[in-house]
Amino acid sequence: MKSFSRQILTMGNENPAEKALNLIRGRLCDPTFVFRPLSASSDSNYSKLKFIVSTSVTEGCNNSILLLGPRGSGKAAVLDLVVGDLMEEYPDSVTLISLNGLLHSEDNCAFKEIARQLCMEHHLLFSKMASFDENSQFIIAMLRECGLAHKTIIFVLDEFDMFAQASYSRGKQRLLYSLLDAMQSVTSQAVVVGISSRLDADQLLEKRVRSRFSHRKILFLPPSREEIDSLLEHLLSLPADSSFPSGYVSQFNEKIKNITSDTRFKDMLKTFLNANSTVNSLLKFIFRAVSSMNLESGLLSLENFKTALSSMQRQPKLEAVRADCSILELYLLVCMRRLEVKEQSSYNFISVMKEYKTIHDSFQTSDFYAQNVCLRAFEHLREREVICYAENRGQSQAGEYRSMKLLISASELHQGMRSHACCPAILLKLLDH
Amino acid sequence: MPTIAGPSLSPHKRIVAARSENTGCPRSAEDITPRKRKLRSDSAAAVPTPIKRKSPRRCALMAEVEEEPNGMLETQFDCLDGKSKWNPRDDDQMKAVKEALHVSTAPSTVVCREDEQRRALEFVKGCMEQNKAGSLYICGCPGTGKSLSMEKLRLQAEDWAKQEGLPCLETVSVNCMSLTKTTDIFSKVRPCAIQIPPSSWLIIADEMDYLITRDRRVLHELFMLTTLPLSRCILIGVANAIDLADRFLPKLKSLNCKPLVVTFRAYSMQQIVRILQERLVELPYVAFQPKALELCARKVSAASGDMRKALSVCRSALEILETEVKGSTDEEPQIPVPEDQMVKMDHMVAALAKTFKSPVVDTIQSLPQHQQIIVCSAAKAFRGSKKDRTTAELNNLYMEICKSSMITPAGITEFTNMCTVLNDQGILKLSQARNDKLKRVSLRVDEADITFALKEIRFFRNCLL
Repeated sequence: MKSFSRQILTMGNENPAEKALNLIRGRLCDPTFVFRPLSASSDSNYSKLKFIVSTSVTEGCNNSILLLGPRGSGKAAVLDLVVGDLMEEYPDSVTLISLNGLLHSEDNCAFKEIARQLCMEHHLLFSKMASFDENSQFIIAMLRECGLAHKTIIFVLDEFDMFAQASYSRGKQRLLYSLLDAMQSVTSQAVVVGISSRLDADQLLEKRVRSRFSHRKILFLPPSREEIDSLLEHLLSLPADSSFPSGYVSQFNEKIKNITSDTRFKDMLKTFLNANSTVNSLLKFIFRAVSSMNLESGLLSLENFKTALSSMQRQPKLEAVRADCSILELYLLVCMRRLEVKEQSSYNFISVMKEYKTIHDSFQTSDFYAQNVCLRAFEHLREREVICYAENRGQSQAGEYRSMKLLISASELHQGMRSHACCPAILLKLLDH
Repeated sequence: MPTIAGPSLSPHKRIVAARSENTGCPRSAEDITPRKRKLRSDSAAAVPTPIKRKSPRRCALMAEVEEEPNGMLETQFDCLDGKSKWNPRDDDQMKAVKEALHVSTAPSTVVCREDEQRRALEFVKGCMEQNKAGSLYICGCPGTGKSLSMEKLRLQAEDWAKQEGLPCLETVSVNCMSLTKTTDIFSKVRPCAIQIPPSSWLIIADEMDYLITRDRRVLHELFMLTTLPLSRCILIGVANAIDLADRFLPKLKSLNCKPLVVTFRAYSMQQIVRILQERLVELPYVAFQPKALELCARKVSAASGDMRKALSVCRSALEILETEVKGSTDEEPQIPVPEDQMVKMDHMVAALAKTFKSPVVDTIQSLPQHQQIIVCSAAKAFRGSKKDRTTAELNNLYMEICKSSMITPAGITEFTNMCTVLNDQGILKLSQARNDKLKRVSLRVDEADITFALKEIRFFRNCLL
């Protein structure tokens, strides 16, 4: 597909729909583009963060700050924006050192990484054999040098709570203490930015370390409805430049406006946001919708968003029941559920067969199959992971005698059966009792 | 009276001389105060004042704090008026104020710690004069000025040794947190130990509780350096625990080398106000309204008495003022700077709210609806004595609440995902289990916080009744 479109490109006749698709998908994957308009207002997290870090850069006063918010709310993206802007405004005055709590929570490892990054920034040779003492002395010396040269070092500690909780340091939090202690001395010029999704990340700090931390927190909350509306417009509107045929651009943007003002779309968006309201999940939703765009017409439609929503809110076991199960398998599932309801703590294939026979006897159903057929149906259900063995012990026993359990909840079973193509009514009645 | 022989006083003398010309305070104030000071020192003053007065204004400030009769108060207000108005839009002035309040700016004298410093200095002097060893243990909460005082003490002791003509005092200052192995401390103090001719040596061990190992060998050996014959080591250990010496060093008692303990208590409100004013007094303008400083001191001393926090709150209030001022310039540059622009009560209130508020309430209020229902059901579930439940039980509760309000509940996979998100944020706590449904859930947040956060929404309010 890619080579084909490249051929078309060389022929100078690329499909505008594909170009539009690529453009929008590129935008959705670029956090800078996404968060730039969210940062425009003076009250936003971007401005607050920029203010604090830029005062440290210009005035040389040290600071420490914590960015808190659920995963995918844009903390690292906004920080990248701020650092990028500062590097442009004050070239050669800002050094960035990044550490991640998942990788560098051990002190030796962390100091080594800091030394390595400092060496890289300042074009020095880094020796892997350097000991912990040498590394820490190097770091202290570099901090002093940078302080004298009025260069600010920005330490970014991702997954900050992991630094505080590292089990092998036996509660020492040595790295955090050293960094925050360096903030207290007048010779260094640095900022420590911690990023964490735990709201009580600063409570995890030891009291010494917490006293040295400046208690500034920026909370990243999910965007409001107005922000989401403006974000959608910003992401999905095509620019009116010459690379697209002009009629197409206005048609596309018109369609977007129609979709976003449609009440059905608003309801859909509301259902989606009721489960997960972070910016990241919204971007994934839009990405899927845009990817299913019809390339012939080159325009988005409400259907795209509907398919995206259903693909994001999947219930796999329900689908297994709805799409894949035969009537016999449904019977077996209903029997198992009835056994559960009767407070039988454990049941196996034999007891399920007994229940099956009881139902057949009392209701004279037409679907009564022999045991070996039922066993095959059972195996099929187990393969689909709708049921499974209750314990891993007793593997030497034959499959029929091992206790089983349902992996699907009663309500999902009910829903699946109701949406099944040809589920007999008697089964639904049996399930309800 | 303590003779604080500090080397740092000379620059301030120059400033004092300059300022007294500026402010034009009546010189008579200075004549009045010495007599009054002697009277104050006779009575048991809670906070002994240093002899060295920096400026007429400072004595007036202390007068305000100690409730002098009206005569002094008038002088103080005169001095305040004498200071020029602060222009927060001027970057240099703002920078100067921020620097004065930064934690890294070490003040020239350590106020409100004179008593403790005096005791420690007397101990060190005593040891040096009698050529014997000794150990001192400094304890106190973080942010109470221990390390700062010890640095000053070191300088004072060195100067005093020079003055008295005693052999030069060797000092080693070690932060035990920076040692790779606890035994490294001995290699750091070794250079001091080997000296000819032998002279007293001072070891300051900061964050001493990091030397505690299971067998306490290193700590014992360190303190026993002071008991060796012919030892002239003066050991000062600094830590947070008040009873470190009792708990971890019972052997020392039998060896009769139990260290002298000096406790640095948490700062009280008056002390915090005084320290803040001390830092701000050198600036030629008034940046903070006194009531704002008092509010900050009151709140911080009630919480922890940690000086770093007080400084952080003041700087935060400064930044709020700065954004306010800068914001108004962007809109209409024609408006002249209003008179009396300084950090007022409302800035301080906002700064205190920012520092002391927990982000939990805001986060719960902005959670998506389903996650709020999960939090609500968790609050209901853990009301009684049962403090943790399985995910499956919580799911049942969640579905009940959803059904009662006609909301379609999310499926079990979605539900577990949402529980994981809440676990990441520190609102719920999920234990590990092989089966998703058997994971145990407990609540990390106070139920009162949840009720407060969700009280605006009638549905949750009824639910949590």
